[in-house]
Amino acid sequence: MEAVTILFSVKENNNLYKLELSKALLNMVEFDFTFFWEKCIDAGRTAKKTGRLPADAIAGVRSIIADFHPYTAALINSDFHDIVTDCIIEYICQSEKITADELWLRCISPKNMYEETIFKRISEYKTGRASNQWNNIVRIQEYAKNKILFIYDTDEPGTPLSTETIRARKQYFDMAFSVAANELGVQGSMLPSARVSSPALTPNSVFINSKAAKVVYRRFEEVLRMADDMSMPDSKDCTAMRDDLAMNAYFYVKGMKRPDDDDIKYAVDSLKNAVYEVYIPDSFKAVVDMEFDLMEKHGIVLRKCEGCGRYFAAVDDGFFCDRVNSSGTTCLDHANALKKAVADASEKASEQHNAANMSEKGENVPDELEKRGRKIYKELSGKVGKEMDENELREWSRYLSDMKRNIELGEAAVEQLEEFLDYSDKFCDEVKNVKKADISSSTARSYIKINRPNVRMADEDPEMSHIHVPLKAEPEVISTVQGVTKIVSADEINIRPFVPETFESIQEASAFVESTAVKNTAPPVSEEPAPQKKSGEIKAFEWKRMTREEAYSMNSFDDDDE
Amino acid sequence: MDFINETAAINGLADYIVKSGACLYNSVKYIYALAENDFYRVNIKDVFKVMLNNIPDADKLRSLGLRIDDRSCREMQSPEYNKVLNLMAYSLAVRIPVMKSIKCGTDVISDDQLYKIYTAVLEKGAENYDDMISETFLETKYLVRKGKKLPPFTADWYKTYIYAKVPALAEITNKNMFLLGAADMLFSMFYSCVQDGLAQKVLEYVNGADETNGEDDEE
Repeated sequence: MEAVTILFSVKENNNLYKLELSKALLNMVEFDFTFFWEKCIDAGRTAKKTGRLPADAIAGVRSIIADFHPYTAALINSDFHDIVTDCIIEYICQSEKITADELWLRCISPKNMYEETIFKRISEYKTGRASNQWNNIVRIQEYAKNKILFIYDTDEPGTPLSTETIRARKQYFDMAFSVAANELGVQGSMLPSARVSSPALTPNSVFINSKAAKVVYRRFEEVLRMADDMSMPDSKDCTAMRDDLAMNAYFYVKGMKRPDDDDIKYAVDSLKNAVYEVYIPDSFKAVVDMEFDLMEKHGIVLRKCEGCGRYFAAVDDGFFCDRVNSSGTTCLDHANALKKAVADASEKASEQHNAANMSEKGENVPDELEKRGRKIYKELSGKVGKEMDENELREWSRYLSDMKRNIELGEAAVEQLEEFLDYSDKFCDEVKNVKKADISSSTARSYIKINRPNVRMADEDPEMSHIHVPLKAEPEVISTVQGVTKIVSADEINIRPFVPETFESIQEASAFVESTAVKNTAPPVSEEPAPQKKSGEIKAFEWKRMTREEAYSMNSFDDDDE
Repeated sequence: MDFINETAAINGLADYIVKSGACLYNSVKYIYALAENDFYRVNIKDVFKVMLNNIPDADKLRSLGLRIDDRSCREMQSPEYNKVLNLMAYSLAVRIPVMKSIKCGTDVISDDQLYKIYTAVLEKGAENYDDMISETFLETKYLVRKGKKLPPFTADWYKTYIYAKVPALAEITNKNMFLLGAADMLFSMFYSCVQDGLAQKVLEYVNGADETNGEDDEE
């Protein structure tokens, strides 16, 4: 939202002053008078000793108040010129517990400039030509604070107020003031007010637009010089005579004809930068009320920052201000950073929680099984290029790794790994037994039927017939003969070197391959039905690469089955 | 009475009396100005307080926002009214013998000293224009010497002069009535304060405070 700035003029001043809506108000309510108050007291103490208020110090202290609000800046050399004296008077009255009247009597025959300054100032209070502006700005600040609080404070943090609510609250606040003023006999005409006017009709328009005014004056100079003086005493109430006075003044220019184009052009040139409307407040309260009204008109809403607790002009539904604080950041930045940090921390905590859960659920793979896995890998790797190809070994190895990882994550049981290793052992044994059977050709064999469609058993595959398992290191291997588990010593296995098929020509080799393929496609014939394995004890193993999710789902499936 | 510097004392006292006359003259104008614009703004009680506490400096009334100018005192802008200033100084001068009652220990001002003061006041411009003031220096001197009660210091001669010489102020208007009513009260209170001021001044000259006073006057 763009800043909305208005122009206002003050009495006895030919300048127009800018007022940025909401900014001036917020600056005013947050203004700290401590420094000003201390400087005033210092100046008062110095004056008491020297008999004269230090002019330089006074000017310096007074300039502090110019920063309070554009209105005080506009009137710093008139209404607020003696604000330091006002502050000193207030300090004396408070510290000595006397009234301003008593202080005035004390200074009625002033012995020095300091007493005379105080006497003159209190005389101004007494005759209604001034009020204690120090008291005034403190009370106006309190008024503005209370009005902001009344209108914009909310009992439900994080909930923006509706326009209707804000309007209703403001009207109620102003009405409460009007009721009090009315009941106390303060007439409406005496109360603060602000009016709006075009630049050419402001009380000081002749001086503000002096170039254009001079051009016009030259036309009517003769007539106006001969006219009677219509000025009125300040004390005379001219409320009922305003139209009369205005028409009497207009009488002298009513014969005005449209000026030459050159004159018009000159006037327009000097007025073209003038604004459309100028506000003319007659008091400080009028400025403050005017600012509240215009804020409502322009849709500017104040909101309490949930970061620093200060009010700010909300540009959207946000509840954090964009003031730069001592750390060089804004509450908004801080809130965003905090939000991000919270999100990160939440994510991290979640991860840590998951990890903690995993570490709670998971367990390390026993060394014994690790060794056993390495041993089987070594055995199987020895068979690469013979009984099994390299891809099969790689898939087996990956499955083993996944299994171990799942155990560590708590998503698989050690028993499952043991089953897998048992199966792998048996797989190795089958190879050995097949070889042994080839050697002895006398022993009937029975294999544990495993649901492994992509893996062929050694007895089903003619190629397996020439597998020779070098298991010298193994003292014993397990073999299953006719359903009875039998311990076979490694020494019993006759090992002979592998002799590859040799062919005379490529055609011969192709024919061999084709004939082998035909044999492989023939359904296996088992002499005996395979013994029924207890479901769930040994998992069906698939030699394919699995994703983590597939592995998880498999486990959960297994769990469900169990 | 033994003054440290008798000439300075006589001149100073004469000056004080003339200034007091001028103060009374201006005070009347300020009151008249008050009736022009500030009747409800300025408390007449405050005007009296300020005026009587600051004799012979009537301009302290400017602190109350009162201004003497052609507009607010246009009825007083006449040569006839200006003679009131001389008359007021004279009205105070004829009462100089009353200073005989001022004592410093057992010392009092001599008749010769009183006359010198009176003469100095006349030299500074005090004048009984058109014999408007019936009192005389010798008459007052006689009454003081005999210990008889003096007639009150009133505004009778002032009102008589106004009616006779300043018709603009003699008209029945709100301002004029306010002025004449305030003058009655003002004159008697004013003279009482002038007496106190003179007594203080005499003691200052006796005690050698004239130098400091002179510095004050310069300021």
